[in-house]
Amino acid sequence: MAMKETTSAIFGQMYGVYAIWLREVTRALRDTGQLIGGVSRPLLWVVILGIGLNPYFRGEVYGEVRFVVPYTYLQFIFPAVVVLNILYTSIQSAVSLIWDREFGFLREVLVSPMARNMVLLGKILGGATTAVVHGCMVLALARFAGVALTWVDVFQALMLMFVLAFGLTSFGIVLAVHVRGFESFGVFSNAVILPLYFTASSIFPLDPALTRAQMLVAYPEWLVLIVELNPLTYAIDAMRGILIDFNQFDPVLGLQVVGIMMVSLFALALLAFRKV
Amino acid sequence: MSVSVSPALAINVRNVSKRFGRVLALDDVNLSVPEGNVLALVGPNGAGKSTLIDILCTIGKPDSGHVEVSGIDAVRHPLKARQKLGVVFQEPTLDTRLTVRENLTFHGMVYQMCRSERRARADAVLELVELADWGNAVTRTLSSGMRRRLEIARALMHEPRILFLDEPTIGLDAQSRAKIWSYLETLRDTQGLTLIVTTHYIDEVEGSDAVYIIDHGKILACGAPDALKADYGRTLLKVSPRGEMVRATLVKRYPDAVETADGQLLIAIDQTVSADALLAELGTQLRGISVEQPSLESVFLSLTGRDLRDAPTGTSNGTRNA
Repeated sequence: MAMKETTSAIFGQMYGVYAIWLREVTRALRDTGQLIGGVSRPLLWVVILGIGLNPYFRGEVYGEVRFVVPYTYLQFIFPAVVVLNILYTSIQSAVSLIWDREFGFLREVLVSPMARNMVLLGKILGGATTAVVHGCMVLALARFAGVALTWVDVFQALMLMFVLAFGLTSFGIVLAVHVRGFESFGVFSNAVILPLYFTASSIFPLDPALTRAQMLVAYPEWLVLIVELNPLTYAIDAMRGILIDFNQFDPVLGLQVVGIMMVSLFALALLAFRKV
Repeated sequence: MSVSVSPALAINVRNVSKRFGRVLALDDVNLSVPEGNVLALVGPNGAGKSTLIDILCTIGKPDSGHVEVSGIDAVRHPLKARQKLGVVFQEPTLDTRLTVRENLTFHGMVYQMCRSERRARADAVLELVELADWGNAVTRTLSSGMRRRLEIARALMHEPRILFLDEPTIGLDAQSRAKIWSYLETLRDTQGLTLIVTTHYIDEVEGSDAVYIIDHGKILACGAPDALKADYGRTLLKVSPRGEMVRATLVKRYPDAVETADGQLLIAIDQTVSADALLAELGTQLRGISVEQPSLESVFLSLTGRDLRDAPTGTSNGTRNA
């Protein structure tokens, strides 16, 4: 009896999570502005930057330091652009929380028989799904970037994209809870997104063939340090491992960092959401 | 373990207090509403109405006291209690980017209704609030009166036993207000729904079964409108003085006089104050004078010493037409 009641309660909550997820995804798909951004961003990065810098990337010998990355620049930044699109969309999708708070819709959900944590779970799953869709828009350019993908690659990439998107959407929620109003969130999120992205070894490699001492000759120490401390570095590295079989770090390390990011950021989001 | 309560009570609140920092928002509030009744909560801004509503619909938790909703302990089992509650908030809470029907569907899903049930209920509630033709319209395109009707329809989707309406008619024109009240009366009469309404429009609560007057977090009085009028109502003289001098004289002579938002003075008639005396002395210096029979407005005035529509900060220099 009690068992049956518990089961139906859990089922009911999951159904509610589905409802919230569905609303998030519906809204995101209707938001043409966001969709245009999702398409134009990778096009810019891949077509303009990728093709533009391609000839300068495969330098043969520059004095002592030799680039040993056996890939074109287009191939090299391709996985990073996938991550960039996920990063943008995940954090932007947290805007829906600000929207709901500002326009009152959140109250409608908070008086419903949904547990607060489940409301949050639905929101994050919705945001993460949207982000994965935006990531796939980049994946669709793979052939164009000269990246050959098998179905197994695509499957693994989707998994990693989802875990990453889940963690980053949670991060977005934490930001959104602490920020008042849309405008400041826009400024704030850009102040977070771009620095995170640029210091994640996304557009230049820290050459794994170099020793640390050699690396410090090529780059200033602070930059190397920031890159190594940025968790996104390892996420992008894991994505490269899957998409172009190139890792700068231990392949397992990337997966571990992304996993830990997902769990700890979700925990932070749960904590923050109690205050809403 | 549980406090025994007669099952016929839709809401039973015992000794509820709530404090925000230094402010005691609710001070030992007791309230009981039999099923199928209409209860009106009346009070100025900041009186504690919204705090009380928040606690009743389980968003807020009381610091102490017992809250029972439809026989369910709302503090211990909020999710269960919410299944029985419908809430229409003061500020709009629709998703304006979704269509009318999508808003209802979302609500039905979150309240764990199955698909066929959702469809049938959506048709029924849209019919009730006369929005059946607007099902596929995007909510943004609706007028504010229609949106409010949609919110009421949405709150009724899951067939709650109790409906909370926080200022349901605020900011609406007279026609929309009348419409909304006619829906609510239909619901009470046909489905035995319990209604809890907060409002500023005191004329709207005349038809309710019980009126609770609340100020500074305390229930000052409760009872049927007629009983309240008989107990606390006073005959008032509404006086418009000619100029500041006269006003000052009047205020000096009748220190209990209350100034209304439109600049008139309200003076209660009792043993010490008579209309004749006032007229004999100052009759020529008044622009107008009228006698107001006991109304809920005067009940409120005599209990709280202020006009219900006073601006909350006391800077009542805005002119408003009655």
